[in-house]
Amino acid sequence: MIAVAIDENTEAIRDFAEGITFPVLMDPDHLLTELYAISNVPTVVMIDENDRIVHPNWSAFGTDMFREFTGIDSDRQHDRVRAWVGDGRTELTDDEIRASVGDLSVDEEQARLRFRIANELRHRGDEQGAARNYTIAGELAPFDWTIRRAAMPLQGEDPFGAGFMALYDEAQAAGRPYHGITGY
Amino acid sequence: MTNDTAIVESTGTLTEQQLIDIGWELRPEGLCQGDTCVIVPDRSALVVDGAVDLVVLADLLDRPVAIDSLSGLAAIGAHRARRRSALVDLVAPDFSLPDLDGGLTALSDHRSKKRLLVAFSSW
Repeated sequence: MIAVAIDENTEAIRDFAEGITFPVLMDPDHLLTELYAISNVPTVVMIDENDRIVHPNWSAFGTDMFREFTGIDSDRQHDRVRAWVGDGRTELTDDEIRASVGDLSVDEEQARLRFRIANELRHRGDEQGAARNYTIAGELAPFDWTIRRAAMPLQGEDPFGAGFMALYDEAQAAGRPYHGITGY
Repeated sequence: MTNDTAIVESTGTLTEQQLIDIGWELRPEGLCQGDTCVIVPDRSALVVDGAVDLVVLADLLDRPVAIDSLSGLAAIGAHRARRRSALVDLVAPDFSLPDLDGGLTALSDHRSKKRLLVAFSSW
């Protein structure tokens, strides 16, 4: 396992990582959301010994914490991973894999860049400039949780509060777009 | 990695030093990084009044760029070939990120093993 925190809150991630022995890496600039077209977390990618992606972006929680929302049984998710680790069993063809993620649009690329500019401005003490760029980023990629939801705690907003519920409703109305596979 | 995202102070151009800072150099052969060079079909479009045009540069390197004129900051993204590797070639693009102790870990540090890459967050 390699866990990458799409996050700059090192202390929160450190708390989570206590007792964990596999690598836990920090990605405050969201490099991975660009390289792997990731638009929400958690996202799981299965990579084999030859660097082949055998299962692309998968919205797999691995626990039943959100079972009420997702209707997905995490035991079956564990079974799928175990089958792969154990016998190398994979179920998707290359064409199915290619068809399942979808490239980032130009706007989604731009949103990521604006998010990074916002981070830099916030670090420099330019709160107004940061807010301006977080807003632009959110307008460019309204259903990308790594943009809009990730920006919430960075601007003093509770990511588990009313703003999150509003974002959830919007995403529902838009058909819950996600760059990857959900549903199992 | 120098080819990861970069933030530069720019409203549209880069100085020679800024170009070097992001890992690239303009030589007679073209835009070069070590032994790798990208051909520059129209040098006069890339270098204007001694400064490198950031949008032309980004296009040549096939990297996205955004310019926030109000703050004078620009962001350059990763080479699109890396994401194409993931989405089209189905080959996991390498990356290097810091762990909680500040050391760098690359995906390729664990080559020749099955890897479950999990992107998660505190939000």
